[in-house]
Amino acid sequence: MIQRAMFMCFVVLLASCNESPYMQGKRLYAANCANCHMDDGSGLASLIPPLKSSKLIGDVSMACVIAYGIRDTIFRDSVFLPREMPSFTRLSETEVTNIINYVNHTWHNDFKETTILDVEAALKKCPK
Amino acid sequence: MKYKSLWLGCLALMVLLSCRQNAELPYLGQTTLQDGKTVHHKVGTFACYSQDSQLVDNAVLSQHIYVADFFFTSCPSICPRVIKEMMKINDRFKDEPMVKLVSFTIDPKRDDVARLKLYADNLGIDQSKWYFLTGDKDAVLDLANTFFVPAFEDKDAPGGFDHSGKIILVDKEGHVRSFSEGTDPETTPKLLDDIQTLVDTYKKATK
Ligand code: HEC
Repeated sequence: MIQRAMFMCFVVLLASCNESPYMQGKRLYAANCANCHMDDGSGLASLIPPLKSSKLIGDVSMACVIAYGIRDTIFRDSVFLPREMPSFTRLSETEVTNIINYVNHTWHNDFKETTILDVEAALKKCPK
Repeated sequence: MKYKSLWLGCLALMVLLSCRQNAELPYLGQTTLQDGKTVHHKVGTFACYSQDSQLVDNAVLSQHIYVADFFFTSCPSICPRVIKEMMKINDRFKDEPMVKLVSFTIDPKRDDVARLKLYADNLGIDQSKWYFLTGDKDAVLDLANTFFVPAFEDKDAPGGFDHSGKIILVDKEGHVRSFSEGTDPETTPKLLDDIQTLVDTYKKATK
C-alpha cells in the first residue's frame, strides 16, 4: 500500500517535471503564436522563422517584436509576398513577460528568467 | 495457463487484423436516390490555374485521388498550420503518383499565379504533386462549400476572409471520402491512413 502511494507520488512528480513552469505563458503562446510558429516552435520553411534558432531567443528585445510586430516582404522581380508578424498591442507587459519566459524556457539552452522590469525597460528602447 | 495466453494472443491478432481489413472508406455528404441508384455527393466543378500556369480542372484530377484545402498567402490566422499538415501528406506520399495535393486560394485577387509560385518556392517543397490554384473569387468561395469548407469574405476577420482549416480527401470520382482538421495535427495520422486505404482500394480494383 505504502509502496503504491510512493509510486503514485513519483509518477505525479515526474509528470510535473515535464510540465513547463510557465503555464500562463504556454497558454498565451498557444493562443497567440502557435498558429504561425507552431506548437514546437519550428515555424514554416522560409515564410515563418523557427524560434529555436532565432537570434532573439534569450534576448529581452523579443518584447519589441511581440509588441510592435514586424512588417517584411519577400520580393522576386515585380512579385511580392508579405512576411509579416502582427503586433500584439492588447497583451499586457505581464503577459508578454510570461510568453518570453515560456519561449526561452522551452527553446533556449541557456535559460535565464526575464522579469517584468526587464520587459518594461526593453519596451522603452524599441526601435521605432 | 500456457494455452490461455496463446488463445488470448490469437484473439488479439484477429481483432487487429479484422480492424485493418475493414477497408472501405465511407462516402461523406448527402446521398440521394436517382432512378433507383444511390448517388453520392460530389465536389463542384472548377477550372483554375496552378503555380506553373497549368490549367487544372476536375478532368485533370480524375486520374488521381487528392487532398484539398482552402487558404490564402497573406492569411494571418490558421493557414500556416494547415499548410504544415499538407506538407506532411506531401512527404508521406511523395512516391505514390496516384495522390495529389490541391490548395485553392480564396483570395485570387491578390494570389495570382506568380504569387502562388513565390509562395510554393518559399515553402521549399517538392511541387511535382502539389497544385496551388487560383481562379475566380466567387466561384472558389462557392466551390469551398461543396468541399464542406465554409469560406466567405468578412472585413472583420483576420486577413479579410473567414474559413475553416479542413483538409478534404476526394476520390477519383469526385466523392468526399475523409477529412482532417488541418489546425489539429493529431487528426493527421488518421487522414494519412485513410489516404493509404483509398490508394489500396483502387489498386486492388485494377488487379
Ligand atoms: C501571423 C503569423 C505570426 C504570428 C501569429 C506570430 N508571428 Fe512571430 N513572426 C512571424 C513572421 C512572418 C516573422 C518573420 C518576420 C520577418 O522578419 O520577416 C516572425 C518573427 C518572429 C520573431 C523573430 C524571429 C527571428 O529570428 O527573426 C520572434 C521572436 C517571434 N516572431 C515571436 C512570436 C511570438 C512570441 C508570437 C506570439 C505572441 C508570434 N511571434 C506570433 C509570424 C507570426
